[in-house]
Amino acid sequence: MRKAMKKLAAISLTAAMAGTMLAGCGNGNSDANSKSTDSKESSGASSESGAASAVDTSEHVDLTMYLIGERTPDFDEVYGKINEILEKKLNCSLNVEFLSWGEHDTKYSLLFSSQENFDLIFTASSWCHYEQTVALGGFAPLSEDFIKTYAPGIWDVVPKVAWDQAKIDGKIYMVPNYANEFGQDVIAVRGDLMKKYGIDKISSWDDLVKFYKACAADGIYAGQGELWFTYFQSKGYSITGGAPQGGELVLYNMQDPNDLEFKYILDWDGFRDYCHQMKELADAGCWSKDILNSTDERQTGLLTGKTATLIWNLGSCMTYAKQANAEHPDWNVTIVDPNASQPKKVNSYINNGVGINANSKHKERAMMVLNEFYTNPEVYDLAMLGIEGKHWEAVGDNQYKVIDESGYGVSKNCNWGWNNAKIQRTEFIENRTPLDDTYDALKEAFNNNIKPEHVYDGFNFDATKVSTQFAAVEAALGNYYSPLKNGLVDDVDKTIEEMKAALESAGIKDVLDEMNRQAAEYVAKKKAN
Amino acid sequence: MKTKKSGFKGFLKKLYMYRAFLLMLAPAVIYTLIFAYYPMTGIVMAFKKYNYAGGIWGSPWNGFENFKFFFLSGQAGLVTRNTVLYNALFIAVNTIAQIAAAILLTEIHNKYFRKITQSLMFLPYFISWVIVGVMAFNIFSSDYGFLNRILTFFGKEKVSFYTTPEVWPFILLFFSVWKGIGYGSVMYLAAIMGIDTSIYEAAKIDGANVFQRIFKVTIPMIMPTTVILLLLSVGGIFKGNFDMFYNLVGGNGLLYNYTDVIDTLTFRALISSNDFGMSAAVGLYQSVLCFVTILLVNKLVGLYDKDYTLF
Repeated sequence: MRKAMKKLAAISLTAAMAGTMLAGCGNGNSDANSKSTDSKESSGASSESGAASAVDTSEHVDLTMYLIGERTPDFDEVYGKINEILEKKLNCSLNVEFLSWGEHDTKYSLLFSSQENFDLIFTASSWCHYEQTVALGGFAPLSEDFIKTYAPGIWDVVPKVAWDQAKIDGKIYMVPNYANEFGQDVIAVRGDLMKKYGIDKISSWDDLVKFYKACAADGIYAGQGELWFTYFQSKGYSITGGAPQGGELVLYNMQDPNDLEFKYILDWDGFRDYCHQMKELADAGCWSKDILNSTDERQTGLLTGKTATLIWNLGSCMTYAKQANAEHPDWNVTIVDPNASQPKKVNSYINNGVGINANSKHKERAMMVLNEFYTNPEVYDLAMLGIEGKHWEAVGDNQYKVIDESGYGVSKNCNWGWNNAKIQRTEFIENRTPLDDTYDALKEAFNNNIKPEHVYDGFNFDATKVSTQFAAVEAALGNYYSPLKNGLVDDVDKTIEEMKAALESAGIKDVLDEMNRQAAEYVAKKKAN
Repeated sequence: MKTKKSGFKGFLKKLYMYRAFLLMLAPAVIYTLIFAYYPMTGIVMAFKKYNYAGGIWGSPWNGFENFKFFFLSGQAGLVTRNTVLYNALFIAVNTIAQIAAAILLTEIHNKYFRKITQSLMFLPYFISWVIVGVMAFNIFSSDYGFLNRILTFFGKEKVSFYTTPEVWPFILLFFSVWKGIGYGSVMYLAAIMGIDTSIYEAAKIDGANVFQRIFKVTIPMIMPTTVILLLLSVGGIFKGNFDMFYNLVGGNGLLYNYTDVIDTLTFRALISSNDFGMSAAVGLYQSVLCFVTILLVNKLVGLYDKDYTLF
């Protein structure tokens, strides 16, 4: 977050709202009869497809969708193809605008406050404004009937648990993606250094600490600072959705479904232990003293050889491990799971999704378009992979091979909002390396070791009732939290006490009380169903 | 040719009489109304629980609720103090540095040398704070920083600037002066150019040396300009320079006790919740304090000399 914020300032200076109109000029051929012939054969929703094609699409409409990220060079070409399909099937054209990574934090809310009447927008719980926008009334609520009528395909694919997660105050405001993403990070690590230090595996917290210290003793930075997530995950804990600091301030025991207690980290011995360990690592020189001011991206350290590791999700670790190995074959970068013994948490499905703007003039058509993206394999492949024959080629029915990633890129164009594991192609790899095997083995291990569901997995704290205390807490913790997390304070215990006192007077108790109240209500409702 | 007619007719007549002037004035008046007065109605947002559907006017009232978080955070006193002290320091040092630079520039007689010097001094003004932040990091970082490289070259211990809050007031002051000196000195340069040269000639004939000419002629003559510029900057004394503090300090909590200003605190507190009402409330808090300060200072200046006041 901090790094994204920093970039914000840089990018917002140069970024203009230069919207490129897609070539959706709607050249006639809007005869209302052609559409029913090729409506929904997408994901076997034959019974509902009758209802969908009964929807009146005789009027041509232009829709606008906002995505997050940068427009890739071939984006307009790819979406031109998508528009041809949409034009024919739904008699509409779609114009896509981008909010760049740097500016979305500030511009996202402006889109709503300026009452623009765009139709679709990417959203995500906690990292992409879902809760805040719902709290301010930005999204249109989606009723069950509405979804069934206009997006029967989506209704078939998305499991009930996903819809439940998307519910705020009993109403659904986004279409969640459907993919088993794992919420636990792994570590890409330099194989040559592991060999040098005589460490043959890193599969637990202690292994990791040992490796970090070995790096520091050798005079190379081990990583880019804090290991907070790795630590509390090793203890079986998880962040709580909607809690302060992106959920980090309040944890729950995700491995034990019967444990319904929230752990406020300042009252948890684990946090103290973690901070002491971090101070030891930081003092040993496991990472730079300037880490809090560094604007490096997560992968920079590993790729430039400044650090020995990269902590990220499995997919990103793979991408950069590959890149590092291609540039420095002697590094022998591999991927390890520091919490190998812990069962894995599947990310909530609302970690990616699409919402419909409350001000949209064509909510029905927008939903139908989303249905195409979600369930029409042709549109899905275009949005995820680009143009067949130019960017990728098909291998069988469910695999792809990359031809050229430079113009579009696989899954790089914010197509995550409609991730659909049912029709998503996987990559076909010709010359396998040991890294590929490690990757597949880890993936399999993850999938074979999914943790039992905890009722709080889907819980999302709504802070509107205590917004004053919430903001005060966010303001008060800045002086202590990240220095503590990175082991950069002089006296750990003293700083923890100071932070505790500061948050106390900022009203953390009210926030926790409200949280417990909402959680109890949530659990009761869950049990009743 | 005085018109004794009063009332509406007289007003219309005057309107017609001064039509050319009024027309010339119109763009400025319209500009001020649209960009200074109309947005001020947005102050109501500070007292509302904003939502998208209701917008600025339709959202429900919220009393003083929006102001609470700022004081509840326990940081209000600290950041207000930091903001005022930093601004006072910046104003004082910048003013002196800019006047000094302006005087030195006028004393350079080689035209080309003067132009080049002035351009070079002006250059930093055009560099964005983002770039300055990156430059600062490359100077002060402990791994690859320019200063620490020099220190290690001479066999000295490294200094970790980013974990030593005490040095930051100086660093911030340095960059503030460095960036503002070229632009700020232009005003004083213009004021100095406006001084009647015959006064200098008279002083010269009377035997005044260059220092006497500066302290007895130049500085007293540019005093009115100086006071007006001072008053204008005092008007913003409760507004922290967000770009500067944010880009130089960033998310480094270790430095906050010395570097946190109202604007950066508000940014951190509200960036995740996007609460428009609370941000507006902090803005209003700053504006009211600024308003009171400028009234006071203006009054004080008036006690000294009526001609120097703004209004």
